[in-house]
Amino acid sequence: MAASKTAGPATSPRALVLGGNRIPFARAGGAYAHASNQDMLTAALDGLVARYGLQGERIGEVAAGAVLKHSRDFNLTRETVLGSALSAETPAYDLQQACATGLETVVSLSNKIRLGQIDSAVAGGVDTTSDAPIAVSDRLRRALLDLSRARSVGQKVAAAAKIRPKDLAPSTPRTSEPRTGLSMGEHQALTTAQWGITREAQDEIALASHQRLAAAWEQGFFDDLVTPYRGQSRDGNLRADTSLEKLAALKPTFGLGLDTPATMTAGNSTPLTDGASTVLLGNEEWAAAHGLTPLAVVVDAEAAAVDFVHGVDGLLMAPAFAVPRLLARNGLTLADLDYVEIHEAFASTVLTTLAAWESEEFGRERLGLDGAFGTVDRARLNVHGSSLAAGHPFAATGGRIVATISKELHRRRAAEGRPVRALVSVCAAGGLGLTAILEAV
Amino acid sequence: MTDRLVELGGVPALGSVYARTVLSSGRLGVQRRLGRAPAPAAGGGAVLHVGGVRVDATRLTDYQHLVGEPASDVLPAGFVHAITFPVAMALMSSADFPLPPLGMVHLSNHVTQSRGVRVGDELDVRAWARDVRPHRSGTQVDLVAQVRVDGDVVWTGVSTYLAKGVTAREQPGGATDDEREPFVAPVPTGRWQLAANTGRRYAAVSGDRNPIHLSALAAKAFGFPRAIAHGMYTAARALADVGAARGEAYVWTVEFAKPVLLPSSPSVRVAPDGDGFAYTAWRPGSSGPHLTGRVDPLR
Amino acid sequence: MSDTYLNLVNSGFTKKVAKQLGLPQPAPLRRYRPGQPLLEGAVLVVGRGTDADAVAALLSGPWDLEVHRNPEPDVRYAAVVLALTQVEHPTDLTAPVLAAAGVLKSLTKGARVVTLSRSSVPDDAPAVAAARQGVDGLLRSLAKELRGGSTGNGIVLEAGVGVEAPSVVGALRFFLSTRSAFVDGQLLTVSSEAGSLPGSWERPLEGRVAVVTGAARGIGASIADTLARDGATVVAVDMPAAGEHMTAVANRVRGTALQLDVTAPDAGERILEHALARHGRLDIVIHNAGITRDKLLANMTPEKWDPVLAVNITAQLRINEALLTSGDFTDAPRIVSLASTSGIAGNRGQTNYAASKGGVIGMVRATAPLLEAFGGTANAVAPGFIETDMTARIPAVTRQVARRLNSLQQGGQPVDVAETVAFLASPAAGGVVGRVLRVCGQNMVGQ
Repeated sequence: MAASKTAGPATSPRALVLGGNRIPFARAGGAYAHASNQDMLTAALDGLVARYGLQGERIGEVAAGAVLKHSRDFNLTRETVLGSALSAETPAYDLQQACATGLETVVSLSNKIRLGQIDSAVAGGVDTTSDAPIAVSDRLRRALLDLSRARSVGQKVAAAAKIRPKDLAPSTPRTSEPRTGLSMGEHQALTTAQWGITREAQDEIALASHQRLAAAWEQGFFDDLVTPYRGQSRDGNLRADTSLEKLAALKPTFGLGLDTPATMTAGNSTPLTDGASTVLLGNEEWAAAHGLTPLAVVVDAEAAAVDFVHGVDGLLMAPAFAVPRLLARNGLTLADLDYVEIHEAFASTVLTTLAAWESEEFGRERLGLDGAFGTVDRARLNVHGSSLAAGHPFAATGGRIVATISKELHRRRAAEGRPVRALVSVCAAGGLGLTAILEAV
Repeated sequence: MTDRLVELGGVPALGSVYARTVLSSGRLGVQRRLGRAPAPAAGGGAVLHVGGVRVDATRLTDYQHLVGEPASDVLPAGFVHAITFPVAMALMSSADFPLPPLGMVHLSNHVTQSRGVRVGDELDVRAWARDVRPHRSGTQVDLVAQVRVDGDVVWTGVSTYLAKGVTAREQPGGATDDEREPFVAPVPTGRWQLAANTGRRYAAVSGDRNPIHLSALAAKAFGFPRAIAHGMYTAARALADVGAARGEAYVWTVEFAKPVLLPSSPSVRVAPDGDGFAYTAWRPGSSGPHLTGRVDPLR
Repeated sequence: MSDTYLNLVNSGFTKKVAKQLGLPQPAPLRRYRPGQPLLEGAVLVVGRGTDADAVAALLSGPWDLEVHRNPEPDVRYAAVVLALTQVEHPTDLTAPVLAAAGVLKSLTKGARVVTLSRSSVPDDAPAVAAARQGVDGLLRSLAKELRGGSTGNGIVLEAGVGVEAPSVVGALRFFLSTRSAFVDGQLLTVSSEAGSLPGSWERPLEGRVAVVTGAARGIGASIADTLARDGATVVAVDMPAAGEHMTAVANRVRGTALQLDVTAPDAGERILEHALARHGRLDIVIHNAGITRDKLLANMTPEKWDPVLAVNITAQLRINEALLTSGDFTDAPRIVSLASTSGIAGNRGQTNYAASKGGVIGMVRATAPLLEAFGGTANAVAPGFIETDMTARIPAVTRQVARRLNSLQQGGQPVDVAETVAFLASPAAGGVVGRVLRVCGQNMVGQ
């Protein structure tokens, strides 16, 4: 075939994870109570720039997002870039896919790198529940808009007269699903009951998360993944000294109105958290030119969604569908994965996903397989802890997981010299799920 | 029965209709107590007709936002109901309607939306009563409303009402409802947050200002501890919850059981069932549902 | 850190009052800015001989200064250089010293007096040794007499080192310039002709890669800024917990940040690995990270003793060992370590700190010879009272007293330490081997 101007590169470049940086995650109302999304994302981005010496660098593209966003943050990522040490000529865009936002920025930027559109990128996410956007009530908003459109004095008076004192009460964003009115916890409580997940099993997941995250901090694993911010130098939600006894003493908070016993507590559910994360991506050439050691390749990704509105599947069960499709496309099985990172929205999210994969019936009827999809070796699951311990600033979680497991993949490969793979799975509001495969370099 | 077509100049304002129904109910009540009321008959045979009805897009949008529908140009079946409702009310409040209109209980509704109705369509509305029949606690009647566009019937709604304590003239023995099976709450798919002002907000977009929906005080006058949600509002929420899967042509039914006292946050299940969707709304821990119904696409 | 007293005695009514009361009159010190002329005024070079001629030629030639060999009336000199390397007898000092004496009253503010002399050794003839050692006492006393922010420092040449040796030239330029604003009354010995003159005196560290430990704040941050200004690529190292401040420093100097506890067993390897991977080389290591845990020795505990020694000296020894054995620290490498006047003169309540800082002085003395084969050096800088977050916590009265206890009657700034570090890290300082240079405004205590 004759070369033409429009032909792409002979082999498409690989999208590499080169590193990451996040700020420690803080409990809502804690150290970052007065920091905005832009403040925190800038801190995370500047820390990344400092770690990798990217000052004044024009990066291919920066993509990030937040789940809870002020309207003034319509261009959050670009504004963050402008306030950072990167070149002001670095393009940026906002992205939002609920709690999958962070992982989706990694996936979509990786695809651009693979297409040869860009040679480098920063993916990221941020969320604050301390500085959540407060909106005026619908009635007040309408009256104000009518007032601004009114021309005559009479129209203005009429518009203003529609405002009632009670309209002045602010409306705060709800974490409930818009179509069902149920909070995420209430939804997961239904799924938990459906799969018969016990309180003990959930508490064990929570305990492992805290213990593993604490160990990683103790070993200095996060020394080149996290930059302190506002006096917070470790994840504020981490309870290194928690125990099954302490977890068992907590009162259930979700699923109280169900026929089955309520099992979900503040201990085995993620708390509201503030934080931001970034991931540095690039192709081989760019990495070499900047003296950066690639950690992992972003191999492939798959999104899925479920009809939770009509009760067909649980709200957070989409990854249970995405992963079988993703692995099949790549000729892999669960046994081929050295690490499985399942975002701990709730301990039971992890457990219901695993239960669905282990279920013959689910495998046959919902996944269209001959039987159960398979079993995950618990020793490979969330090896450095996950959201139950670290906390979960919605859009920042994807970046946390990708950077953490990429470092671990590289370390393992360096030690064992064989291919090492990880699966990353993030469930999200709206019945969404996003999953990806990373392979060590 | 020969239908008498009575032309109305336009869709009546519900305020005046309610004023007349209060008068008419009062009159009937006094007459009944005096033993001089006419016994309920199988409708007066009149068909009320209003032609050239046009839809106000702003009101439609307000309705759609309130019940959780997208603000499209296609009228939700519940909105068509709201348009036809004053005509049906006018029928009920006419002098020769056999039952006292105020305080009648809405038992069920059956709507056939045979094709989509759009904002620009010119609607031709007819309403008549039929099938006055006994019920174990009184007498029930169907009010039928029909909407035509360009001569085709596009929407037919049958609203079944109960006049409590009123005995029908013709009463075949034992023709009462069957005893229902005990209620077992299903797995919810959602929950409705119904604020205390839900009735007032629905009244504003539907025009149905029946006082029992507007304030606790008015509701007490009719024997309810608090204001109750419009039945058609809750049914419209369920229809909206079914979503786009219903298509533009469908049958939408509802049976109202226990009233929804405001404010309230009933659990709901709206889920695929057979070829369509079934829905139930209930108060957790209650012995019976608020309402049940179905939405079945017409294909 | 602002020095209110310094501001008061230098402005308006309060200045007059202070003068009448005979209170200390500290002068605001001029600091270095790139592009600044080396001296703002003429320089008097006194002394006779080939060395004096060579120095005068250097100053008037490449450095383009107005050089006088004899004092001229009505000239306010910005600097006086006493070229005394060729004195043979104490009486040889008379003529040049008295020539210089005549101009001292009319020096410009912030003027510089620099002596050039040779070290006295036992092999010298007694008269020669007396003359040479006499310069030492002369300079230290002279420095104490200077006012108006002027300083006096000396360069001591060891045997075989010519006045045109890179380190002599480099030290002369350093002492004449505003880079040495808070260095006063010091004698710096040049041991060899090693080192090289920089291509540009403004960017002497161009192309060099430098690691600064404890770079997140204070003196360390200032060192990072200064090395970067002089052309170096900087790797900022500090504790993971100090990452937020270090990010700001690294981004400001366009370097990289390495969050690392210097006491980690593999700290040296990780520093080297980072520098080589990111920047391709490692030339300069500044051991600035340090902590204090003050306690009278009678009350000392392992909790107060151990970490001070671990951070301030043991970590440096371990990192140096890793660098020296790596084979990747061989292109005229520089180690500059932060000592302290406490390590020289002692300080009540600081036995642990002084032990560690005294240790630093011994360490560089013994490390420098190991680097000589590669054209490398190891030296220490001993700060006196420097205005930092740490000294800001000293009680107010004690702080005021501490500030005035030196010839310049004020505390130094972090940048004063940083400038001295940068000089010792520069290519020209290759002949300064295993020395300690004090940045203390000629503090009254100690040597």
